[in-house]
Amino acid sequence: MSEIQINTLTPGMVLLSNIEDRNGYLLLPSGTKLQDGHIQLMKKLGLKSVEAVPESEAKGITLADPCEQYIRNFFVYCDPDNEAMLEIFRIAVARTQLAVERGWIMPTEDQRLATNLEFMKDLYPPGLGSAKDLVDHETELATFPGIYFRIKEILDSPSSSAADIARVVSTDVGLSAKLLKLVNSPFYGFADTIDSIAHAVSLVGIKEISTLALGISTINFFKDIPPELMDMKTFWRHSLSCGILSRLISMRAKKTHRDIEPDRLFTAGLLHDVGRLIIFKKQPYASVQALLYARENMIPLVDAESEVLGFDHTEIADLLLSEWNFPVAITTAIVNHHDPKSASNPKEAAIIQIADNLTNAVEISRGGMYVLPGIQADAWEGLGLKTSELVGIVDQFDEHIEEVLGAFM
Amino acid sequence: MGLLTSSSLTLRKTVKITDKEFDDLRKFIYDKTGIDIPIRRRYLLENRLGTRLTELNLSSFAEYHNFLMRDPGRTSEMEKLCEKITTNETSFFRDIKQLNVFRSDILPEMLKVQEEAGKKELNIWCAGCSSGEEPYTLAIMILEQLGMKVISWRIKISAYDLSPAMLAKCRKGVYGEYAFKTTPKGMILKYFEKQPDGTYKVRPKVQKLVSFAPINLSDRMALKRVPKSQIVFCRNVIIYFDEAMKKQVLEGFYDNLLPGGYLFLGHSESIHKLSTAYKPILKPGGICYRKDA
Repeated sequence: MSEIQINTLTPGMVLLSNIEDRNGYLLLPSGTKLQDGHIQLMKKLGLKSVEAVPESEAKGITLADPCEQYIRNFFVYCDPDNEAMLEIFRIAVARTQLAVERGWIMPTEDQRLATNLEFMKDLYPPGLGSAKDLVDHETELATFPGIYFRIKEILDSPSSSAADIARVVSTDVGLSAKLLKLVNSPFYGFADTIDSIAHAVSLVGIKEISTLALGISTINFFKDIPPELMDMKTFWRHSLSCGILSRLISMRAKKTHRDIEPDRLFTAGLLHDVGRLIIFKKQPYASVQALLYARENMIPLVDAESEVLGFDHTEIADLLLSEWNFPVAITTAIVNHHDPKSASNPKEAAIIQIADNLTNAVEISRGGMYVLPGIQADAWEGLGLKTSELVGIVDQFDEHIEEVLGAFM
Repeated sequence: MGLLTSSSLTLRKTVKITDKEFDDLRKFIYDKTGIDIPIRRRYLLENRLGTRLTELNLSSFAEYHNFLMRDPGRTSEMEKLCEKITTNETSFFRDIKQLNVFRSDILPEMLKVQEEAGKKELNIWCAGCSSGEEPYTLAIMILEQLGMKVISWRIKISAYDLSPAMLAKCRKGVYGEYAFKTTPKGMILKYFEKQPDGTYKVRPKVQKLVSFAPINLSDRMALKRVPKSQIVFCRNVIIYFDEAMKKQVLEGFYDNLLPGGYLFLGHSESIHKLSTAYKPILKPGGICYRKDA
C-alpha cells in the first residue's frame, strides 16, 4: 500500500492515482512529480491521504506531463476521434509547452476558481428578461450610427461605385484610419502602400471594403462599455482572433468552394460574439455569473449562458442583427456558429465555429480559461482542407494578430 | 515560427461509446434519477465515466450499463455516476445576493409570522444539499439572526441528497479551504473549528440544527414523505431534469410547502414556463416564489 498522509508528503514524490475535483475535472494525473504547489492544492481540497511513492522508488514510473493534462481538460466536450480536433489539441499542447519554456506559469486552481463578488446591477431580475427584452431595450435606447446605414445602402445597391463607398467612409475619420491600417497590414499582403479608401476599393473590391467598414463601425458602437464591467481587451482580442482565423481558413477553403467570401468571414468572425456585448451591457451581474459558472465547472460558455440566463449570445445576435438589417449572409454565419448545419450557408458558419474553437485553443497559453465548445460532425470535413494545413493557419495567425490588433485598438 | 506537433499524442483516453450505448445509458439514467443528459454532452460522458470503466475492469459501455443494472455494487456505482455527471461546485455563503433575500426579508418575516401564531418552530427543506455547504450556511444565518434566542425555538433544517457518500460527508462536517472562498472571514472563526491538518469542522451548535437523509427527487412518493416546510431551497439541482420532470418536482415542492411558504431556486432558474401555482416575489437581490396563505 502506498497510501501517504497529506501532512507527510514532500516535493519530489510521485503521485500514483488521479486527483480529480468534485466535477471529475482532472487536477493532477497519476505520474505527477509533486511540487509544493501541488501539495498545497491537495490540502485546500481537504484530502487526508493519497497514493504516492518517494522519488527513490519511482524509477519505473512514466512521469506525467502537466501541460498535456492541463490542455486535455479544455477538450472534454470535443470528439476525440475527429482528426481536425486532434490536430488542434496537438497544436495547443505544443504552444503551451513552448510558453512554459519561455516562463509562462500555468494558472493555479486558485486562479481558476477566483470569484468576483462585485455587486453589479442587472436591468432585469433573474428569469424575467427574455432575449427579446434585452434587444428591444438596446435598440430603443441607442441609435446605431448613421454611417452604418449609409454603408449598408451601398452594399445593398447593385449600382454602387468605388467613389460612393469612398465618399461615405471618408466622412468618418476614425473608421477610415482603421480600414486603411487593416488593408495595409501584411495580413492583406499588398506590395504597395494604400493611401486612400478609393485606392483600397480598387484593390480589394467595393463589396469587400463595405463589408469590412460595416464590421468596424459595429465595433465602434460598443466602444463605451465600462472596463469595470468586463475585460474588453480580452473580448476584442478573442473577436479579432476569430476574425483573422476565419479569414485564413476561408481563403484556403475558397479554392474548392468558390462562393465563400473571406472578407465576409472576417467580419462575421469579428462579430461572432456581438450578442455577448448586449448581455454585458444589460445584465452585467448575470454575465459575470455565467463566466464564473463556465470557468468553475469547465463547461462551454455558451452552455453556461443558457443555464444562467435562459438564452445564449446567438439568440441575442439573431434579434439584434435582424433589427439592424444586417446583411443576411453575415447574420446567418454569426447566429449559427455553434450549430452550422442550421445556417443557410453551413460552410461559412462551420468556418466560424472552427475558428472560434481554434481561438480558444490558442488562448489557453495566454491564460484563457474556457473549454472548447466543440466542432459539429462533418463541419471540418465539408471544407475540403487537410488537417495538416491547420499548423500553417495558426502560424500565419501568429504573424498577423498583434498588428491587426494594433490597427483596431 | 513553425510549430512541430507530436503525432504520438492522442485525445482519446477512454473506450468509445457507441450511438446505441449512449442512447441506452441516457434512458437508464433518466429513468432512475430524472437527470437528462443532453446529446451534446456525449464526449463529456465518455470522459467522466471512462475512468470508471478502467477502475471496474470493464471493456465497454454496454458492460458498464449491465453493471449498473445487475452488479451487487450497482447502488454505490450509481451514486458515483451521478456525482460525475452533475456539476457540483458549491461553497459556504454561495450566491450571497440571493441568500440576503432569505436573511433580510424571508427569514425575519417567517419568524415573525410563526411567533405571532404562537408556534416557535421553523422547518426548512434543503432539497439536493450536495456536500452540506448550503444547509449549514442557512443554519449559520439563522443563528446570526436569533443569537441566544435560538434556545426557545425549534429550528429544523432537513437536508436531503441522492448520494449517501455525500450525506456522509455532510454529517462529518469537515471542509477544506476552497469551501470558504465566498465566506466572510468572521463567520469562519465563529462557526468552524480549525483542525490540525488545516481543514475546518462545523461547530456542534450549527450541526444541531441540521439533519441529513437520502432522497431521489424524481420519486413522487418520496417527496410526499418529507415533513411540511415553511421554506424550500432547491438551488441549481433541477437544471439537470427535463421539463416534465422539473414540473413534477415543482409540484412536489408546492404540496410540501405550508401556506404562505417560500421556494428558493437557483439565482437564474426561472419558474414561469413550468408552474403558475407560485407567486414570484421580486426583491432587489433576487427572486423567490410564494405559496398563497
